[in-house]
Amino acid sequence: MKLNNTVVCPPLYWRLFSVWYRHMRVYTKNIFSNGLPPFLEPLLFLAGVGLGLGTYITQSMEGLSYLEFLGTGLLVTAAMFTASFECSFGTFIRLEFDKVYDGMLASPLTVNNLIVGEIIWAGTKGLFFSFAVLCILAVFGVIHLPYSLLAPLVGFLTGVMFAVISMLITSFVRVINQLNFFFTGFISPMFFFSGVVFPTSNLPNYIQPLVEIVPLTHCVRLVRAVCANHYQMIHLWDLFYIAVFILVVGFFAVRRLRKRMVN
Amino acid sequence: MTEKIIIVKNVSKTFPKVVAVNNLSFEVEAQTCFGCLGPNGAGKSTMMKIIYGKCTRDEKPASQMSIFGYDPKDCELEIKSLSGVVPQDNNLDDELNLIQNLMIYSKFYNIPARLARERIAYLLDFLELSEKANSRITELSGGMKRRLVIARALLNNPRLLILDEPTTGLDPQVRHLIWDKLRLLKKEGTTILLTTHYMEEAFQICDTVMIMHKGQRIIEGPPRDLLANNIEKYVLEILDAGALQDKLKENMQEQVRIDKSQQVTRLFSNDFEYLKTIAGSMESSNYYLRQTNLEDVFLKATGRGLSETQ
Repeated sequence: MKLNNTVVCPPLYWRLFSVWYRHMRVYTKNIFSNGLPPFLEPLLFLAGVGLGLGTYITQSMEGLSYLEFLGTGLLVTAAMFTASFECSFGTFIRLEFDKVYDGMLASPLTVNNLIVGEIIWAGTKGLFFSFAVLCILAVFGVIHLPYSLLAPLVGFLTGVMFAVISMLITSFVRVINQLNFFFTGFISPMFFFSGVVFPTSNLPNYIQPLVEIVPLTHCVRLVRAVCANHYQMIHLWDLFYIAVFILVVGFFAVRRLRKRMVN
Repeated sequence: MTEKIIIVKNVSKTFPKVVAVNNLSFEVEAQTCFGCLGPNGAGKSTMMKIIYGKCTRDEKPASQMSIFGYDPKDCELEIKSLSGVVPQDNNLDDELNLIQNLMIYSKFYNIPARLARERIAYLLDFLELSEKANSRITELSGGMKRRLVIARALLNNPRLLILDEPTTGLDPQVRHLIWDKLRLLKKEGTTILLTTHYMEEAFQICDTVMIMHKGQRIIEGPPRDLLANNIEKYVLEILDAGALQDKLKENMQEQVRIDKSQQVTRLFSNDFEYLKTIAGSMESSNYYLRQTNLEDVFLKATGRGLSETQ
């Protein structure tokens, strides 16, 4: 007894786009306060390292000057931080405080659309933050164009990767402050132990397997390969790791978050 | 025969600690306004959410649901495309202005931008928000925010409008405005499903009212019938019934129903003159003689005491 057989629901790609569009509009509404810091942060880093710390480090790292070594690493850490914040604190606030999802889920969107759209948005933010770092690095001649123009794509993958893991963590969180553990226990160590600040090859052997497990390691290796335009078999492994990580963690993140949104 | 927009049969919803909806059945006809009344925790909101797929109903016992012929279990997108929802909380994007808020939702419904702008202008005018079109959400009063959420729910020209406590916490002017708009929408062919605590609201705009308690339907019917069939016509409310104690014990029970709460004694009767005689012996500040209303039915049906979920 269908009363109206001509209901046209928006197609899948559109539903994902509309969620992405929502986040983009809210983010770009304060373009100055949201858009400027991503450019300022690498600038400060470069000043600190280039004028200060870097002058003490004369040894080259993996064949790169320290400034270039750290700079290329920042391309992905910037993406990591922004995506992690967006999909932990951001997601939690939308879920529990602002009740944004309650309204969105009353429109023709499924929970899966909503979460996947948000993950794609976090990837986009990763891309943008990566791009901002790239601009600064290029302006100061730290890295070389045009190959490194592809680096923001790695930023996108990094963003998606940290979006899914952050969402999975958020799905367990009952009180927002618990997220602090995620940042001090997971994200911050990632910054130091995945080859961004110093090469991991010199770490003791028994730590090496651990380094391979850490997600950011693969992003860092990939982005350096992109910037140098020098690819090896190991980078296929990195891509494979990233793809599997996104699919597996993403699957559980969606499943667990759905239970928080539809009960 | 009028078409049934909503058919709900034997639906239950159990949360880990509480049975929110307990074997509930009801039907809503096209172009009518159906009101769900009940104390907090009665399961009204949960029932609304089950209808648009925000909650899933229990698998067992077997139940049946049809909204425009669709089952929310499998066809949430179709149902949501045909409906508009006003959730209990105003979840607007504070960073954006009114038009931008609505534009974002028009994208969810895949309304082309040009059409969306026309529709938004119309709806802002319809809900008397045009002057504020470019204001930030934080500059709006509670009543304006509520009206904007209603405008948002109307973006896709819904055939079914679901409102969860649309006027809670609003001043009388805004409430009356919203009632007027809802009446107009109904006249234009929209079916309305709402939950409310306000008996007055239910009486004003609902064609059918269902009183819920602990997840179950207590009574259902047109508001006037509920009044006529379930409660005496008049009530005499007495603040200090001390002087009446003797009388209360005697033969009065045959003519009046007595309902005592902590501070107030209420005498219900169909005999106005009789109540007036009783009142006549008291000071005028001590009593209030009036017609009964839906609130009396509500309290009779759901009890005066608070349950633990309230």
